[in-house]
Amino acid sequence: MKRIIFYILLLIATLIFVYPFIWMTTASLRPEREISYLSPLSRNFSFGSYITVFKRIPIVRAFLNSLIVSSSITISVLIFSSMIGYALSRLKFKGRELIFMVILFTMMIPFQITLIPLYVLMVKLGWTDTYQALIVPGMISAFGILLFRQYFKAFPKSIIDAARVDGCSDFGILYRIIWPNSIPALVTVGIITFMNTWNNVLWPLVVIRKTSFMTMPQMVVLFTVGGQAEAQVGVQLASAMMLAIPIVIIYMIFQRHFIASMAHTGIKG
Amino acid sequence: MSSVRIENVTKKFGKVFAVKDLSLDIKEGEFMVFLGPSGCGKTTILRIVGGLETPTKGRVYFGDKDVTNFRPKDRNIAMVFQSYSLYPHLTAYHNIAFPLRIAGKKKEIIKKRVMETAELLGIKDLLHKRPRELSGGQSQRVAVGRAIVREPTLFLFDEPLSNLDAKLRVQMRAELAHIHNELKITSVYVTHDQIEAMTLGQRIAVLKDGVLQQVGKPMEVYENPKNAFVASFLGSPAMNLLEGKKFSFLSSYGKNKLVGIRPSDISIVKSGIETTLDAAEVIGNEIILYLKLGDNIITVKTKSLKPSQLKPGTKFYIKFNKEKIYLFNADTGEKVKSS
Repeated sequence: MKRIIFYILLLIATLIFVYPFIWMTTASLRPEREISYLSPLSRNFSFGSYITVFKRIPIVRAFLNSLIVSSSITISVLIFSSMIGYALSRLKFKGRELIFMVILFTMMIPFQITLIPLYVLMVKLGWTDTYQALIVPGMISAFGILLFRQYFKAFPKSIIDAARVDGCSDFGILYRIIWPNSIPALVTVGIITFMNTWNNVLWPLVVIRKTSFMTMPQMVVLFTVGGQAEAQVGVQLASAMMLAIPIVIIYMIFQRHFIASMAHTGIKG
Repeated sequence: MSSVRIENVTKKFGKVFAVKDLSLDIKEGEFMVFLGPSGCGKTTILRIVGGLETPTKGRVYFGDKDVTNFRPKDRNIAMVFQSYSLYPHLTAYHNIAFPLRIAGKKKEIIKKRVMETAELLGIKDLLHKRPRELSGGQSQRVAVGRAIVREPTLFLFDEPLSNLDAKLRVQMRAELAHIHNELKITSVYVTHDQIEAMTLGQRIAVLKDGVLQQVGKPMEVYENPKNAFVASFLGSPAMNLLEGKKFSFLSSYGKNKLVGIRPSDISIVKSGIETTLDAAEVIGNEIILYLKLGDNIITVKTKSLKPSQLKPGTKFYIKFNKEKIYLFNADTGEKVKSS
């Protein structure tokens, strides 16, 4: 009996969490007059709203832009942040702790504070309306450095020594030995960086004005709030769905990989 | 192959001396063992020779070449670690092949060399396995394979057998001796296990607190220890060291002396120095007695007793073989006179 009550409670909780997503999905497929219904069911499902979005804005271009920007930043963060994380955890040099503290400190500063100076910098460099403006500021992440540093610290020292004796340089050690044994850390940093970049609206809004360089969230926000959606909720929801689907798919793929790699890393201490 | 010269090497970690002004020549093709208790600096000196640490002072030469500031990869050395240190993501084959791949050798050559090495070590059927599927002994064989595959000028072993169980240790010890006989590569071996040192080493170097105590052939060091530390560290059970001034029967050796005698050089007799049995260990046909004499415990190794005689509290009379007595200065521990 207890168990049944427990499961009923869990079910209710699940519904509370999942219902908005289900509603959003079905509402984007319902005709405009049925949008306000609470029930997710309808007899008139169609892709009409989606077709309208495709017709009104270059959403495919925005999708590609987002993909280019998010992938570049993710790859760059993985490469550079792991390099810095390695140096901060495995190399001995003066000022190492100080550098780490400074990096930690930058994590405490909200992005809104550095937004204006960064924008001024972009203008001075002549980078507004370019991919550089979207990519370069995000190429190294303090969060990635922190996570890699902590993860690499636990890596057995003698394996690193063995690699050194076997002829590896520090780059060799990082990319040939530590990377293949740090899949969970790489996947975690990768997913979080990709999602953050993908969902970022504020920065693209500041540095990009040309439609051809706009990222997907930026375009969707301008579309829904900026008037092009003509206050049609179905169309707005359809564009929001298109924004969310890639990230959900990526998350689902790597989530599985993430759990698998957590279970299978066989580093014996 | 190459000889190694360690010249006045000192290593400090913060304010602590790990190695103090150590000089030593290792001949070409020699098997040199560094022996000492944990924390004596033996691993540090090995890591300095390997280039994993830089000395605070002093130089290291391979042959005539000063390699003090060379990185490990430029020294052409191979090292076997206590914890095996295999690369977890690579199979045994690729673990062994790793140094050759880093050196940019051709695939066919790598394959040939890995197979030869696997043959020598008897691990051909393990090559497709990953480290986590290997037992301790198998892992250490693969680690040895990774070391010998590249034909280094120098082999470094950092307590390679300490993680293995007793039986396997004996077997691997014999294999290491065999491999050295076959390849004749200069080897430096670090251990705290005196049996490993005595059986493997052509010469042994005994260290304490970062200071080299004595270097020599195993039996030379065993029979002619330079000081009380070396005397008590070599030999199992350890040599008895008695303060001369405490015992009247030792007074003839002088007051300020440590009198050393090995457990096998004391015999049980009908009348002699009276002691009481504290504990006894029966190891096959050998018996080790721990006899109380005043505040001291004297260890005696004997074969002539029956287990039924070994009740704690039993009186035993012992006699020292006077010819086998070692004398040390009680203050400095330095040897005064040997039998």
